[in-house]
Amino acid sequence: MIEVESLEKIFIDEGEQTPALRGVSFSITEGEFVAIMGPSGSGKSTLMHILSFLDRPTGGHYRFLKQNILDLSDEELAKIRNKSMGFVFQMFNLLPYASVYENVELPLVYSDIPKESRNEKIMKAIKSVGLSHRASQQAGKLSGGEKQRVAIARALINDPAVIFADEPTGNLDSKSGAQVMEILSDLNEAGRTIILVTHETYTSQYARRIIRIRDGKIESDALLNKEEHRRSAKDFIK
Amino acid sequence: MKTADAIQSAVKGLKHNITRSILTMLGIVIGIGSVILLMSIGASAQKLILDQVQSTGSNLVFIVPGGTNGSRFAAPASTQGIIIKTLVKQDVDSLRREPTIVRVSPEVRGQARVVYENNDISTTYLGTTEEYSVIRSFNVEHGQFFTKSDVDSYNKVAILGSEIAVKLFDQVNPIGKSVRLKNNSFRVVGVLEKKGIGPFGVDQDNLVVVPLSVAQKNLLGIDFYNSITLQANDSYNIEFTKERIISVLRQNHRTNDPDKDDFTIRTQEDALAILGNITDILKLFLTAIAFISLIVGGIGIMNIMLVSVVERTKEIGLRKAVGATNNDILKQFLFEAIILTSLGGLIGIFFGTLFTALVYFILKSTLATGWVFQLPPSAIVLAVSVAVLTGIVFGVYPARQAAKKNPIEALRYE
Repeated sequence: MIEVESLEKIFIDEGEQTPALRGVSFSITEGEFVAIMGPSGSGKSTLMHILSFLDRPTGGHYRFLKQNILDLSDEELAKIRNKSMGFVFQMFNLLPYASVYENVELPLVYSDIPKESRNEKIMKAIKSVGLSHRASQQAGKLSGGEKQRVAIARALINDPAVIFADEPTGNLDSKSGAQVMEILSDLNEAGRTIILVTHETYTSQYARRIIRIRDGKIESDALLNKEEHRRSAKDFIK
Repeated sequence: MKTADAIQSAVKGLKHNITRSILTMLGIVIGIGSVILLMSIGASAQKLILDQVQSTGSNLVFIVPGGTNGSRFAAPASTQGIIIKTLVKQDVDSLRREPTIVRVSPEVRGQARVVYENNDISTTYLGTTEEYSVIRSFNVEHGQFFTKSDVDSYNKVAILGSEIAVKLFDQVNPIGKSVRLKNNSFRVVGVLEKKGIGPFGVDQDNLVVVPLSVAQKNLLGIDFYNSITLQANDSYNIEFTKERIISVLRQNHRTNDPDKDDFTIRTQEDALAILGNITDILKLFLTAIAFISLIVGGIGIMNIMLVSVVERTKEIGLRKAVGATNNDILKQFLFEAIILTSLGGLIGIFFGTLFTALVYFILKSTLATGWVFQLPPSAIVLAVSVAVLTGIVFGVYPARQAAKKNPIEALRYE
């Protein structure tokens, strides 16, 4: 589903070149739960931005669902992002003045789905994160954990091929964090591909594969025994 | 993104900060309100002035002594305080024989004090013939206008303007009473109906009208005329009539050179054209003032929209992350501006109309009784289109700023 080869990204600031990625190659197949880990400044966020089309690489190749991404225009990328990708951010990034319902609806606004056939999808997504009773509530008034669940519902609304979660527990207490990770884990078990960026070891334990990045290069790429790690993650939270 | 969704997003964005939206809109409300108000006042003033010209009678041609070297709009010498004696009885007699002319009324004017008992008022008097009342629609409210025989037999009779009658006689019926004018005693035979200020600044309600013969002999001691008013025959083209008058006068004054004409002819159309020019400038001036306030309002919109774009950087980043294209973002912010200005425009039209009506009631009952309520449809159409246009013009820059935002930086923005 995702194939990157010799991916490079160099930032140029006032003539000074700062390489953030120096030849990263890997592939992710459908249904994987991958954690991208690394210390700050390692390039993991840059990698995530490129994988989710929010940024373009300066070198290498990237194929998403067998399409060469570098050939596509910004508009085309926005369309693919809308249809095939879901986002969960550390800061939730909800529209605080809009209701839970309207927040979950947001990606549909930029799709071709007509207004009248949206309701069912939205309510289903809200139900899947256990917030049906909060659908008409203003998003800004929810607790952190609830906000992140709204964000997950929003990420799910277009039935995307992959969900990108960027430090999704970073702003949550451990209990809400665990709830969020459980939801992501369940989604993965149902067959959804999840790419998680984190620096917290316990969150990464939910993944089945961990790619460690350091200084813009892959340091390690290892599969984990999922059941074992999930247990250890739960123990950690307790 | 569908337009309906873009509009809905825009409305939500505006509702989110309702106080600011209303304050932003205020600039446009005032701008459009003043466009409506000032354009309406301009139209009303124009109508008032032109109505007054038309109320002087129909098919009128005015002849004044002194030339203008062929210019249509220049002021003839006689209006600049120079006494010119070239318009005389022979001219009037020749003009009366012209088939293109129905009525001829020579006129002389002067300033004097008119006295009744202890009341003493400085006024303008007009010496003319009985035809003047028909030509200029000078209707008598009480009594009657003087007759041809009054003019022919030098009868000292007078017609009073409506206001001067009240000032001199108050509650007393002036008909049959005597007033003194330059030591001559005149018997009042009629009082004119109220007419207001004439198109040439003559206060027709403060006028004393006396027979031409008496005015020339007893009051002024002259044998020429200050002006001649003619009523043209409908069956002839007015330009042709004008040509005929010119040819008659040139023959009488023995001249052939248009540059040496010692008279000036103005038709009612000329007067309307001159006044039309003046009132058009007035309207343009008023409209310009209104547009300046609209531009100020527009800049206000742009300013607030720019602040709003910065404030909502994170929202823009999020929208882009979930699939909004640059165009979608541009649309949303542009719609916000257009909705603000359109709504402001509608409210502005409402208040503009309200104030126009208010001005109408105030002026009608105080200064100008002939003031009419004018709300030109063109003003409404203009106001609406200008409001929308203001939204587009002043909304495009902030909207582009929003659309240009890099989603990563926007998402990180705190």
